[in-house]
Amino acid sequence: MARPEAGDRLRRLLAMLPWLAERGRVPIKEVADRFDMRPNEVVAELELAACCGLPPYTPDQLIELVVTDDYVEANLGGRLSRPLRFSPAEGFTVAASARAILAVPGADPDGALARALAKLEAALGQRQAVTVELDAPALLDVVRRAIDEGQRLEITYYSASRDEVTTRRIDPHAVFSSEGRWYVNAWCHLAGGVRHFRVDRMEEAVPTGERSDAAVGPVAKGGQAAQGRQAFSPGPDVDEVSLVLSPGARWVTETYPTREVQELAGGRVRVVLAVGGLAWLERLLLRLGPDAEAVDPPHLEVARRRAAAQVLARYSD
Amino acid sequence: MDKLERLTNLLLVLLEAPRALTMREIVDQVDGYPAGEAACRQTFERDKRTLREEGVPLETVTVEEREGIQGYRVRPERYYLPELGLSDEEQAALNLAVAAVRLDTGSSRDALWKLGGAEHDPAPPFAALPALPALPALHEALRTRAPVSFGYRGRQRRVDPYGLGFRHGFWYLLGRDRDHDQQRTFRVDRIEGGVERGEPDGYAVPAGFDLGAALPDEPWKLGEGEALRAQVLIDRARAPLVEAELGEDAISERRDDGAVVVTLEVTNPAAFRSWVLGFLEHAEVLSPPELRSEMVAWLRGEAGPDGSGPDGSGPDGSGPDGSGPDGSGSERAGPDGDRGAP
Repeated sequence: MARPEAGDRLRRLLAMLPWLAERGRVPIKEVADRFDMRPNEVVAELELAACCGLPPYTPDQLIELVVTDDYVEANLGGRLSRPLRFSPAEGFTVAASARAILAVPGADPDGALARALAKLEAALGQRQAVTVELDAPALLDVVRRAIDEGQRLEITYYSASRDEVTTRRIDPHAVFSSEGRWYVNAWCHLAGGVRHFRVDRMEEAVPTGERSDAAVGPVAKGGQAAQGRQAFSPGPDVDEVSLVLSPGARWVTETYPTREVQELAGGRVRVVLAVGGLAWLERLLLRLGPDAEAVDPPHLEVARRRAAAQVLARYSD
Repeated sequence: MDKLERLTNLLLVLLEAPRALTMREIVDQVDGYPAGEAACRQTFERDKRTLREEGVPLETVTVEEREGIQGYRVRPERYYLPELGLSDEEQAALNLAVAAVRLDTGSSRDALWKLGGAEHDPAPPFAALPALPALPALHEALRTRAPVSFGYRGRQRRVDPYGLGFRHGFWYLLGRDRDHDQQRTFRVDRIEGGVERGEPDGYAVPAGFDLGAALPDEPWKLGEGEALRAQVLIDRARAPLVEAELGEDAISERRDDGAVVVTLEVTNPAAFRSWVLGFLEHAEVLSPPELRSEMVAWLRGEAGPDGSGPDGSGPDGSGPDGSGPDGSGSERAGPDGDRGAP
């Protein structure tokens, strides 16, 4: 493992000292777990800290740490015994995270988290700078209850990648919110695999009376929302498409999972996207209009023209 | 000597000093600086930078006016996180929230360290919000009431931030545009380049400012143009989804065949067009005539010269159901929210 930079080590030490100060005597193993270090690394770092202090660097002027192989005992007095203030990024992260959890439908607006946030904002003078809203689809409650009670659901679902509505049975495992939308991670009996479904795209969700089959539980590792946009990474059976975007459509590279991005002259960019359904792509192309050109496969341009003609037929009066 | 030891000693000396210290005074007290003047200066500058990068409020003051000699200090009251006075339950709730939300600022772990408390349960994150580089700077500006300046849609804007809000999948900044003396809404993901912060306490947020009420409901309302009332016919196949998205109040007519007509206030025609096109042939702009003819012209451009589209089989839509980029891909209230007309 590469040795962290001095700045990273300082940040870690300045977080570690107040935490130790609050506890007094702590097993090395516990310190290692919390700060994601190896025990011998903890010992080395704390032994070094025990040599720091103020001139003339006599024992009474050093940071008072007793370090053994098994435990550390800290008696810091006032020195570095409180953490450093939040950086802008940390302050934002804490406030936005708390706001997001309070925005989950059913969260207690007067609970412990709300009180903690109020104290935090008062202490740091944040004056409620951030609000977060997550959508509250009508069927979210039904889905969450099904998860809690281990029920199988029958859902009527609009699949945007195919632009069709289907009915299927799912064994829901967990809900998560990504970029403001609610998803459920479930075993889909129609597809025979784990799929993510947008809760707001369910027209109906009804418990079938069967037990959800926990044995074929979801395989998502490391948490669903953890994967962020990768939650939407298509499986292996997808098509790769290649588009040339003009500067006005560059946001596409920020918004969708790309496999390749290549800069071209004039601020244009060639991008390879992995898509799980061409209905979605047709719509994207229609919406981008002259800002996007489909280069590969070539029949995409045909599909775009056909889709446009189909929509245009509605306006033929 | 380990650099961490020198940095820690430097920080302690600066924190404990009753007044600003010059570089000379500092290197006399802190071991580990090289002997030569130039090398010493260079190392000291690097240490100062490291401390500042880690968020230490290291101030520079002029101590000797005539000779322009600089002094340095760290005020304890600006360094230490104030005591938050959280109960165990409150601390646990806050820790859990930070652990459960994924923000990609790379700061969750550091914030959790500073918050203290028990080790959180390594449960998978429950919600993910987009993290944008401008957000911490805007939040800090709001906290300190510092005006900001940034590039947006090709122009430099000077703004007094009133609030930051996340709605319908996007972060918005609300504030007063200093150059137009008007309240404006900005999509944070459309901010171009960095955010410059001015002096703190440079403005006040008007009493009664309501962030929730000021956030735009839908992207087609996020324009700078005059509002048009648009009517869109949604066929039976998509009517339930649209009603779920816009609410019952948006429905102005229910037809016998199951189709509905929705009425929308549009100030951003490009975002509106994008939303309607998301439904392909299941939606039709009925009025006003200018939006309808704009849509027809757009579609003619897309359909190609003969306007009818070629025959023949199209690509089959094979791909996984449910997953696939449709998750984020077909945001009807699309990512091209406030895009100008092409």
